[in-house]
Amino acid sequence: MISLSIQVEPFPIVEPLIVRLQESGTEARSQHDAVLLDIDGHRREYNFQGFSFVVRTPPDECIDGDVLLVLPGQTSAHRLIRASSHHNTLLVTEQCDQLCVMCSQPPKKYHTDLFDQFAVAAALAPQGAMIGISGGEPLLHKTRLFEMITKVAVERPDIRFHVLTNGQHLEPSDVETIFQLGRERILWGVPLYSANRNTHDRIVGKDGAFARLELGLVTLMRAGASVELRTVVLQQNWSDLPDLATFINTRLGFISVWALMQLERIGYGRMNWDSSFQDTSTEFEQIRRAVDIATARGIRTSLYNFPLCSVPPEYRDFAPSTISDWKRKYLEFCTDCGARGTCGGFFQWYSHNEGFAALGPL
Amino acid sequence: MKSRLFLIPSLLMAGFFPSTTDAMPVAETVAGKIPVPSVLERLRLNHIFTLAGHRSHSSHRSHSSHSSHRSSGGTGYSTRRYTPPSTVYTLPTPTYKADPTPVIPSYESTTTPTFSAPLKVLPGNTDKFKHIVMQVQTALTAYGYYSGVIDGKIGPSCKSALSAMQSDYNLKVTGTITADVLNAFGIAAN
Repeated sequence: MISLSIQVEPFPIVEPLIVRLQESGTEARSQHDAVLLDIDGHRREYNFQGFSFVVRTPPDECIDGDVLLVLPGQTSAHRLIRASSHHNTLLVTEQCDQLCVMCSQPPKKYHTDLFDQFAVAAALAPQGAMIGISGGEPLLHKTRLFEMITKVAVERPDIRFHVLTNGQHLEPSDVETIFQLGRERILWGVPLYSANRNTHDRIVGKDGAFARLELGLVTLMRAGASVELRTVVLQQNWSDLPDLATFINTRLGFISVWALMQLERIGYGRMNWDSSFQDTSTEFEQIRRAVDIATARGIRTSLYNFPLCSVPPEYRDFAPSTISDWKRKYLEFCTDCGARGTCGGFFQWYSHNEGFAALGPL
Repeated sequence: MKSRLFLIPSLLMAGFFPSTTDAMPVAETVAGKIPVPSVLERLRLNHIFTLAGHRSHSSHRSHSSHSSHRSSGGTGYSTRRYTPPSTVYTLPTPTYKADPTPVIPSYESTTTPTFSAPLKVLPGNTDKFKHIVMQVQTALTAYGYYSGVIDGKIGPSCKSALSAMQSDYNLKVTGTITADVLNAFGIAAN
């Protein structure tokens, strides 16, 4: 597991600081850059605006171009952007208005506004980066979020965002804003768990969620937004999947992709594992039907977080490697597997004795 | 009544337009410029689809490396740890004005939008850095290493003054303000 935090020596700041780490021998590219002075074992000393900024990390670790968030009084900084990774995500709030049975990041009551810092950080990302925006529910702070994305868009037109949202806080009046931000700029990851509103509402723990989501999807459609519809496969919606595929075909044909996702065993997902995890290695039929229905209509369909050996051979092309690099692991039997190069493996917190029953090397 | 009739034209002549007239033309241009597609046009648009990968909400869980219990202790950036005593960490005076209307600029058709506020360093830290640099410059001056201006900026002469001082005090020579330098001068930075 790749650590997303990094040790720093105390630095005289009074508010959160964004720093990009730059290799030695060059002038600072911006006022946010710290230039490497020297490496002494685990200790790397940088020049940041005339001050020594010291980071502790293994000597072989590449952190050039990484963007850190340093908080006053803390000796552990957050690696907001890892320059070498395609899996950078900003957690913009921990507040949420849903309580999903499989939530991997249970919500918190309080919010700290770091949007200004996130805007600076995103603008320091490598060329062409796609940055995830996650929560909590990011659109609870819609105005600030849009403002942040706009700032970055102006400074760095090459940067794109993947916004994970429950889609329920979009109003018809947002159409213009979303359109201006650009369908190339943002991929909206929006969850829909069932075409049956009661089932959907029950899974997300909120009455009326489905109805509000429908309105949100209309707004996204009218704005010409790119939408990745996301459905976590659960025992709760297992029998609904083919109907959901039909619903998407008839009502949501504008989406860019439909992602069927395996469960992540963390947070409430861990708590509710026994009542939620659907072993798709032993029973795949509902997914097979759902994928067939959706693809027949030309809806691009994808299986996220499915180890390749859990998927029947003829459906493996639908299962790209999607688990983020820093929280991915492989099991013992993966060593001999011929598909390891293209398989996303398992979540770090996956527990095999409670997981898929019928797996093995390919 | 009479004075009112005269008042308005004379204010206009003097350039004091009612505030709404400023906004009017802008609003019209914006409305005319934004080509929100019709549903039919919508279907012809090319969409990005990048496999952004699985991005789950737990992406930042490992940020809470010090919390013992992952599932409930997982905090994002854990800022609250230092927020309560406002003496330790004061939120910056908001540079963001809560404007009821979103401040999204109208994009030109070339999609090179204009935006008023460039991304800049938040003032709090800048002030803090400057304050420390001035203290260091004062100390360097007092000890005879520096003869430049006490301006709170680390220029070439201040750098070489720091290097000379570090060398004399048997500190690591970096030409930057290190914790050792601050300690040697008895400057409390935090």
